[in-house]
Amino acid sequence: MDKEDATPIIAVKNLSARFDENVVFEDLNFQVYKGEILVIVGASGCGKSTLLKIMIGLQKPSAGQVLYQGFDIVNADEKELNLYRQNIGVLFQSGALFSSMTLKENIELPLQEYTDLDPATIDTIIKMKLGMVDLAGYENYNPSELSGGMRKRAGIARAMALDPRVLFFDELSAGLDPVTAAELDDLIIKTNKALRTTMVIVTHELESIYKIAHRVLMLDKEAKGIIAEGKPLDLKKNATDPRVMSFFLRQLPAGPAEQRFYVS
Amino acid sequence: MAIQTQEDRTDPYKISFEWKDLNLFIYLEGEFGLKNLTAFNADIHREMSRQKLNSVTIDFSKVDYLDSAAALTMVQIQKDAIARNIPCQLVNLNDEAKGIFSVIHEEALNHLSFKSSQDHDDFVRKIGQSSLDIASDFTNFVTFIGDFMVAIFYIIRHPKTLRGKDVLFYIQRAGVEGLPIVAVIGLLIGLIIAFMSYLQLKMVGANIYVPALVSFAMIKELGPLMTAILVAGRSGSAFAAEIGTMAVNEEVDALHTMGFDSVRFLAVPKVLATIIVLPILTVYADFFGIIGGMIIGVTSLDLTMKTYITQSVKTVKVFDIVTSLIKAGVFAALIASIGCQKGFQVRSGAQDVGKFTTSAVVAAIFLIVLADSIFAIMFYYI
Repeated sequence: MDKEDATPIIAVKNLSARFDENVVFEDLNFQVYKGEILVIVGASGCGKSTLLKIMIGLQKPSAGQVLYQGFDIVNADEKELNLYRQNIGVLFQSGALFSSMTLKENIELPLQEYTDLDPATIDTIIKMKLGMVDLAGYENYNPSELSGGMRKRAGIARAMALDPRVLFFDELSAGLDPVTAAELDDLIIKTNKALRTTMVIVTHELESIYKIAHRVLMLDKEAKGIIAEGKPLDLKKNATDPRVMSFFLRQLPAGPAEQRFYVS
Repeated sequence: MAIQTQEDRTDPYKISFEWKDLNLFIYLEGEFGLKNLTAFNADIHREMSRQKLNSVTIDFSKVDYLDSAAALTMVQIQKDAIARNIPCQLVNLNDEAKGIFSVIHEEALNHLSFKSSQDHDDFVRKIGQSSLDIASDFTNFVTFIGDFMVAIFYIIRHPKTLRGKDVLFYIQRAGVEGLPIVAVIGLLIGLIIAFMSYLQLKMVGANIYVPALVSFAMIKELGPLMTAILVAGRSGSAFAAEIGTMAVNEEVDALHTMGFDSVRFLAVPKVLATIIVLPILTVYADFFGIIGGMIIGVTSLDLTMKTYITQSVKTVKVFDIVTSLIKAGVFAALIASIGCQKGFQVRSGAQDVGKFTTSAVVAAIFLIVLADSIFAIMFYYI
């Protein structure tokens, strides 16, 4: 997807986050374009999760705006935020399926709450969503009976229940074996291509990033902001910043070992 | 507001129908999604059932937005028509719409549901399962007591392995932090007994026996029982929830793999702390119960404080106090050990934590009352 012919669906403007004295990031500015897969990367502690939480309206930033189709969700009240949340889907790191409910009930919940569909239609939609994530037939299973990869896929099915315009993924392939992670990547690509759903993904898996990302945003703890932005392969080939190079080439940064491992 | 939502997303749509002989042409225009699904589905069905049909053609050329649920509905309409032997075609789909239709898999829609291993619907099976559960509950508790005794003997032989800090922490949690509520409940119970017995005894002019009744009832029965029930609710449940959450987070497994005995590490400090604090809390409750009785005695019964105290002391024997403390100790052991044991039974998820926490409190209160009945008979014969 080319940036030029795309319209932004989310715009982050001058966003800052701090906890007391500790500044996580300052003055972040970037946009998420309609239909793209944007991957946010960075070392632990650089504020990826904080950024994600702010973008899905779970946390307030200390300054700045997050605009969804021009609508500022930072200063929105709870009712407006709820309306925003019906337009997005979130997949949490562990899947966050409700353990007391079957898969069917997990996916059914948003459909019952926000639509006027009759139970038979809801049932068919659930079957379709489970089919989309290759879990056809598993509607009566409880989350505890599923493997980690299946739980993630079920989480995606629930996140997509209302056909959201934007999907957010926190630590997409954390804790999954390479094959399962690759299957998940394929699912992401397939869904993005078929439904044109915009996706914002936080992940560390280089393999995944090269495979799925249309664009990568790299955050850095020291810089307290974005240090690189672009297509993943371009960043790998053309990066001059040592921090970006070490990430994409999977190398330790240059310099004496004692400096590298110094913990401040 | 620029934001589009399920609630205010009207998905503006227009459907035009055109009949050429008995062939129906449906032209879709605008946005088709979850929000207007029921409406446009009804529109199309209504038109299709108006008269005899030879064929249906649904034209997508002017569709601006389509979500997967709307696409699914179109597929269903097509399937229904074909089932009635009416050819139905979806035409002029752009790439975007084709993509959306590609996620609908016929085999997924017709896939039979797998049976979950947790489905036990039939009644007989449920009864069998419950009986097995009760039996395994008993086995688990006995096993836990065994593990606990092993841990205690180990600590007696190696006193340094006792986690003293933890014991102090739980003394604080279960004991010190429970003092206010125990005092309030004790005081109120004392007040109630004094008041109720005064209403009855004044009829026979036996007011002087009110102090005796209050102190006897508080020390022998109500003090230990009420305190134990309070501690079961406050601490027994907390122990079960704490260990249960640790089990869910694999912290208990971590202890095992590090070579620690989880019972010695997690349960022993809690049980010891409760055995230490419950008798103290009982004395505290007894004291406040007698004070409560005294408030009624002095204000309503025209007794002096001195008379009240003398009457109270005269009734209570050392034997009563000792047995009350022994009872409190046994109740404490029951509450804490059942709380911990239920915690260890948690396997997965938030629901399990809730289930076993409830079960810890219910089982503890049941065992307290059962033990109390046994004590009542036992002390009668001593």
